[in-house]
Amino acid sequence: MKALRIALKDLRIRLRDRNTLILMLLLPVGLTAVIGFAFGGDAGISAVEFLLVSPEEDGFPAGDFLTGAAANFLSQIEIFDVEVATREEATRAVSEGEKSAAILVPEGLREAILEGTPAEVVVLRDPASDIKAGIVQSVVERFVTYASAGGIVGRAIFETLEEERPLTDGERWQLTGWMLRWMYDRYREPAIGIQAADTEVEDVNVHAYFAPSFAVLFLLFTMLGSAKSIHEERESGTYDRLMTAPVSRATFIGGKLTGSYLLAAVQMLILILLGSIVFGIRWGSHPGAVVVMALVTAAGASSLAVLIASIARTGSQVDNVGTAVILVMSLLGGSMWPVEQAPAAFQNIARFTFNYWAHSGFKKLVFLDAGLAGIAQEIAIVGAMSIVFFALSVRLLSRR
Amino acid sequence: MRGDAIIDAERLTKRYGEIVAVDSVSFEVPEGEIFGLLGPNGAGKTTTIGILSCLVTPTAGSARICGIDVTKDSLGVRSKIGVVPQEIALYPTLSARDNLVFWGRMYGVPDHALKQRIEEILETVELSDRADSRIDTFSGGMKRRVNIAAGLLHRPSVLFLDEPTVGIDPQTRRSILELVVELNDHGLTVLYTTHYLEEAEFLCNRIGIMDEGKMLAIGTKEELTATIGATGVIAVSADGMDESIVGWLRSLDAVADAALVESELTINVIAGPNLLPALVEKLTSSGAAVHSVDVTVPNLESVFLHLTGKSLRDRDGSPAEGEPVGKKT
Ligand SMILES: Nc1ncnc2c1ncn2[C@@H]1O[C@H](COP(=O)(O)OP(=O)(O)OP(=O)(O)O)[C@@H](O)[C@H]1O
Ligand SMILES: [Mg+2]
Repeated sequence: MKALRIALKDLRIRLRDRNTLILMLLLPVGLTAVIGFAFGGDAGISAVEFLLVSPEEDGFPAGDFLTGAAANFLSQIEIFDVEVATREEATRAVSEGEKSAAILVPEGLREAILEGTPAEVVVLRDPASDIKAGIVQSVVERFVTYASAGGIVGRAIFETLEEERPLTDGERWQLTGWMLRWMYDRYREPAIGIQAADTEVEDVNVHAYFAPSFAVLFLLFTMLGSAKSIHEERESGTYDRLMTAPVSRATFIGGKLTGSYLLAAVQMLILILLGSIVFGIRWGSHPGAVVVMALVTAAGASSLAVLIASIARTGSQVDNVGTAVILVMSLLGGSMWPVEQAPAAFQNIARFTFNYWAHSGFKKLVFLDAGLAGIAQEIAIVGAMSIVFFALSVRLLSRR
Repeated sequence: MRGDAIIDAERLTKRYGEIVAVDSVSFEVPEGEIFGLLGPNGAGKTTTIGILSCLVTPTAGSARICGIDVTKDSLGVRSKIGVVPQEIALYPTLSARDNLVFWGRMYGVPDHALKQRIEEILETVELSDRADSRIDTFSGGMKRRVNIAAGLLHRPSVLFLDEPTVGIDPQTRRSILELVVELNDHGLTVLYTTHYLEEAEFLCNRIGIMDEGKMLAIGTKEELTATIGATGVIAVSADGMDESIVGWLRSLDAVADAALVESELTINVIAGPNLLPALVEKLTSSGAAVHSVDVTVPNLESVFLHLTGKSLRDRDGSPAEGEPVGKKT
């Protein structure tokens, strides 16, 4: 109870402070506006045009069906403009900037899916169209994930059936077709969600790309201020005074952590709301998932900042060390630029940052209309980071 | 009287590495008393209060507040005490009222009583009309009064006041001292630290004199002054004096102690009047320019001089000589 009072006192102090409000809300919204316009003109970028290249497996129905299914699935997403082309056409169109990206479906994709042999779906990207190509790539990644999962399920079904008796070729094709349809239906679910929510907007909202990344960046800065107040209370004597009241040290630490977290949650939710109001961002059709992602992100940022404070010795060290950590992490993790365009090695480093995963979750919500299941990985990783940061900070703080 | 003592400190010691901040300090404060800890900067007053309020763990010794051991049941002790720290410990961007609400809750004042207590306490510290202004818009004296108010909300059995009048104007000082007297009239036991001897003389039933971590003497003002064996005090203000004059004075039978701080010479004398002519002659012949010579009865300053060979009155911010610090009702 006293911890909650301490938390609410902190929240009150922060929300009354004009500088905090500028840092919390004005700067992220302002920067999103500026960068968004710089990248995409006034309203956003036009439809993502890309090509789908079918493997030349003549007379093989599953291959055609697969390509057809993919094309169908992709064009369900309204911002996508898909055409099927040959490899030469696709390479030319992408390198000349006519199309943002081309997806090369490899030969043997059917075997890869049905038998688990390796195969690679290649995405050709127009370097000038980072964001659009990045979006296409994310979609393909999801397609491949589903397809692999479908393949595993399919193989299990074949093996089970063949324990009874060997299947004829006809039966195999029939089953394969049935299974692909089943998979295709699974893909379609989120796409249907988009259609319902998204009838008039035809463009990709470029602000929707930057709003979450700046939100995460400034969330970290706001949290640094909250974490710093742990030192400020010690330096100003209010901590000592609390320690002469019947308040335990655990209550104090609990109160400070809760206060940070509440502020983080408030900031994320307000920024999401402002994103919708100011930039017309549609955060997908799963508001529950958006709220969960926002709350998990808030937990990650607040516990990271408190961890920095629990390592630092003074309030000004929190500022210096914390600012450095945040800037490095934001650069590496893609809070300031589209990390999708970086080389693979760099992206592997990015995966170690909190920013990367937080942003990734929001990108999936916005561009893939993912639900809770679609961002499960992000939630798990950001959640795990929060728990680790939290545990370390509590340990360090209670030793003081 | 051990059983009745509200504060009972026994051979308290606190070391910080080489520094002995508090050195085997013992004292008792019975219920209803205002007990003063008088000592210069670094004497160990704040550290003593820190131990008694469970902020500082003693290196040795023990202390009980209302019979509760400070190291064994710190939460029990903390619910009995009110602490007014030496530095202002408030949230500057919150209003006086919001601060008091917060501190009241931290001290466990029940919600239903809190509002009225805050009104009362604001009345007592004469800040009702500024209750909703932010602390950072307050003057130093107003902040100090809120700082005190925050320590009183939960109606503690004992109040620790750590130099609450440092750096404020005489009028506010007087109102704070009167407030302490009033609270004490209502039965509050007070431990009051100061390096202003006038405050200690005016306010405290008994006084403990501290220097360099040690408790040098404890008693009422009369008891303390009686111990020095002097009948009078001569205070000389003159330019051009040096330590040789102190050496000369100390060699005289009529002089108990003597100390020189800048241009102020203080002498505890056993037989006052006889000394004066010789002193003045000695001063003028040594080339000192004498501005004034005062002969008074022994006070706490004389006691401090007697105990330490030093003067208390060499600090900045000390109230001007002879300035009234308040009027005891
Ligand atoms: N946390 C600490 N670490 C090291 N030394 C300390 C600490 N706290 C106090 N001291 C030392 O202990 C001694 C007594 O300090 P204390 O603050 O108790 O004196 P004080 O009588 O309150 O002085 P003042 O009138 O200046 O407030 C000083 O020499 C001080 O430097
Ligand atoms: Mg002190």
